[in-house]
Amino acid sequence: MVAVKNLRKTFNSLVAVDDVSFTIDSGEVFGLLGPNGAGKTTIINMIVGLLKPDNGAINVDGSDDPTRIDVRMRIGNAPQAVALYESLTARENLTFFGKVYGLSGRRLKERVDWALSFARLEDRAKDRVDTFSGGMKRRLNMAGAVVHDPPVILFDEPTVGVDPQSRNLIFDSIEDLKRQGRTIVYTTHYMEEAQRLCDRVAVMDRGKILDLNTVDNLIEKHGGKAVIIAIFDTPPQDLSQFPGTIEGNTLRIETMQPTQDLVNLAQAGLKFRQLRVDRPDLETVFLNLTGRSLRD
Amino acid sequence: MGKIFTLAGKDLKLLLRDKASLFWVMAFPLAIALFFGAIFSGSGGSLSGMKIAVIDEDNTDFSAAYITELEGQSALRVSQMTRDSAFQKVRTGKLSAFIVLRENFGEYRGMFSADPLIEIGLDPARRMEAGYLQGLLTRANFTVLQKQFASFELFHTELDRIESDTSIWNDLTAEQNQLGKDLLSDLRGIVNNLEQEAAPDSGDTIAAKTGGGDLFAVDITAVTDDQVMPRTPFEVTFPSALLWAMIGCAATFAVSIVKERTAGTYLRLRLAPLTRTHILGGKGLACFVACVSISIILLLIGNLILGVRIVNLLILAIGVFSASFCFVGLTMCMSVMGKTEESVGGAAWGILMVAAMTGGGMIPVLFMPSWLLTISHFSPAKWSILAIEGGIWRDFTMSEMLLPVGMLIGIGVLCFGVGIGLLSRSDA
Repeated sequence: MVAVKNLRKTFNSLVAVDDVSFTIDSGEVFGLLGPNGAGKTTIINMIVGLLKPDNGAINVDGSDDPTRIDVRMRIGNAPQAVALYESLTARENLTFFGKVYGLSGRRLKERVDWALSFARLEDRAKDRVDTFSGGMKRRLNMAGAVVHDPPVILFDEPTVGVDPQSRNLIFDSIEDLKRQGRTIVYTTHYMEEAQRLCDRVAVMDRGKILDLNTVDNLIEKHGGKAVIIAIFDTPPQDLSQFPGTIEGNTLRIETMQPTQDLVNLAQAGLKFRQLRVDRPDLETVFLNLTGRSLRD
Repeated sequence: MGKIFTLAGKDLKLLLRDKASLFWVMAFPLAIALFFGAIFSGSGGSLSGMKIAVIDEDNTDFSAAYITELEGQSALRVSQMTRDSAFQKVRTGKLSAFIVLRENFGEYRGMFSADPLIEIGLDPARRMEAGYLQGLLTRANFTVLQKQFASFELFHTELDRIESDTSIWNDLTAEQNQLGKDLLSDLRGIVNNLEQEAAPDSGDTIAAKTGGGDLFAVDITAVTDDQVMPRTPFEVTFPSALLWAMIGCAATFAVSIVKERTAGTYLRLRLAPLTRTHILGGKGLACFVACVSISIILLLIGNLILGVRIVNLLILAIGVFSASFCFVGLTMCMSVMGKTEESVGGAAWGILMVAAMTGGGMIPVLFMPSWLLTISHFSPAKWSILAIEGGIWRDFTMSEMLLPVGMLIGIGVLCFGVGIGLLSRSDA
C-alpha cells in the first residue's frame, strides 16, 4: 500500500532522513517510533508530497507521485499541530474539509456524521472549536483526516498534550479504523502507544531506521532479560536451586524465560509478600539501540 | 470553480465571526464617513457657509444694503457684533473671519477710494479662505451697486457728485480733464435719452430700459455645475469610507493567509486535492466579495439615510469592482511580507495607511501640496476614490473612467503576480 525506498532528505547540512526504506501492507498499522527530531514528520511530509526527497522513491497505492490529485484523494493526514478553523463549529470544519475532498449532498452529511461519531463529538457538533479542550481539538483534527473515507491514513503524533481520557478515546478510534481495514501510519515518541496500536514498528533515531519489526520481535531481539523481583516475609534457607541473587528479603532474577521461572517459584511452595515481573518494552529496546532514552 | 467557492465561503464565514475584523472593515469606515461628514456640514447635513462677523462703522444706507446682501449669500453665515468680540471669536476659531465696513464706505459705494474701505480680520493660516471671502465681498458690492443704480435720480446725483469732486479733477492734466468731462457729458446724454423714452409715470428704471437690470452684471460661466459637485459632505466622505473598508478587507485577508500558514490549515489545504490556484483563488474571491459587499452596504446607508447620490450606477459598479480587484492584488502581495500574523498585520496596515494618506484617504487631494499630489499618482487610494466618485457625483463618462480603472487593474495585476510568485517560492 505504501512503499518507500532509500529515502533521503537534507536541510542544508542537517541530514533529516537517511536512506530509509520500508513497505506497509494494506490494513496494517505501522508505527514510526523515535524521539523528537528523529525524522518521523519529514518522512510523513515526503509520503504526502509536501516535501520532495533528495533521493529515493515513494509509492502510495500504486502511484509514484503523491502530489497527484487522485492520490491525495486516497490519503488522509492529521498533522501534528491542530489544524482547524477555531471560529467555525466542529460540524462546519468537517463539512468544509469534506467539500474540499469533493463530497457533497447526502454522502457529505453521512460522512460528517460518521466523523463526528469517530471523534466522539456528536453532542458538541454545533459548538465552535475555540470552546473545545485540547483533547477534543485533537480528536476533531483526526476526524478531519478521515472524513473523506481514505484507505491510507497518516496520524502524526496525535496524542501530544492530551488528557488520559482523550488519549484512550483516540486509541479506541484508531482501533476502530484498524478493524475496518485501513492502512495507518502512526508516528509517536510514546512507546506504550506503539506497543498497543502498531502491528510493526520502525525504531528511528537521527534520520535512520535502527530496526523494523513487530513489537514482540523487537523486544525479544533488543529488549534483553526480564526481571523477576520476589520479596519474602521470611526468606527460605535454600535458594540455590533458583537463579538470581538475594539481598535481605528480596530475590532478583534476570531471565529470558520469566514465565517458566515463575512456575518454578510457585512449585517450590515459597510464600511471597510481593512478586513483580519487569518485562522489557520498546523503551528498553530504544535504550539498548541508542544508549539514550526516548524522552531525552 | 466549486472548490474556489467552498474556500471563499469558508473565509467569508470566518470574517463574519471575527468581531475585530468586522469593526475594521465595516464599523470604522462608517464611523469615519459619519464623523467627517458631520464635521464638514456642521450639525446639519448639508454644506454650510463660512461663519463671519460684520462691524458696520459707516452706518449708511449703502453699508446697510451691503450687509443685507451678504446675509443673503448662502456661502456665508453673517452676524453683527463689536470689533473686540469679533476679534476674540476669530482668534479662538469660533468664526472664520470678520469684516469692518469703514467710514466713507457708503460715500464711495465701496469702491474708487484711495484708502481701503473694508478691513478683513482673519487667521493668517487661513489664506485660502481669505481669497474666497474677498470674492464674495466683491460680488456683494457689485450686486448692491447694480440695485442702486437702477434709479435715474440716483444716477444723476452720482454724476453730479463726480463732476463737483475737485479731488478727482485737480490732479489730472488739461487733456485728461477734458476727456473726463466729455465722458461725463456723454453719460448724462445717454441717461437723459433713456429717461425721455420712458413713460412719465411708468416707473421704468434704467435696468428696465437697458434690457433687464444688467448694467453692472457680469456673465459668469460655470466651470462646474451642481451636477458635478458634491451636494453634501457625505458625498465626499463615503467614497473615503469605501476606501477604508477595502483597506480593512485587504489587511484582514492578508493576515488571514499568514494565519492559515501558522495555524497549519494552509498545510492541510495543500495536502487536499487542491491546486495553489484553488487556494489563492478562494482567498482572492473572498476578499473581492467582502470589498464589494461592504461597499454596497455603506452605499445603501449613505444613499438611503444621508442623501448620497449615485449619479451613474454602472460607472459606480465599475469603480467599486476595479478598486476591489486592486485591493485583492495588494492582499496577495502583503500576505507574504512576513511569517507571523503580527509582522504581516503591521506591514499591511503601515503600507495601506501610507497609501491612504498619499491618495486622499485622509487629506483630500484638493488641499494637497504639489509634491504630494505627484506622489498621489502612485497611490491606489487616489485612483480608488476617483473611480468611486466617478459614479457618485463626478458623473464620469466611460472614457473618463479609463485612467483610474486602468491604474487600479494594473496595480492589482502587478501586486497579485508578485504575491503569488513570492508565495510559491516560500512554499517550495
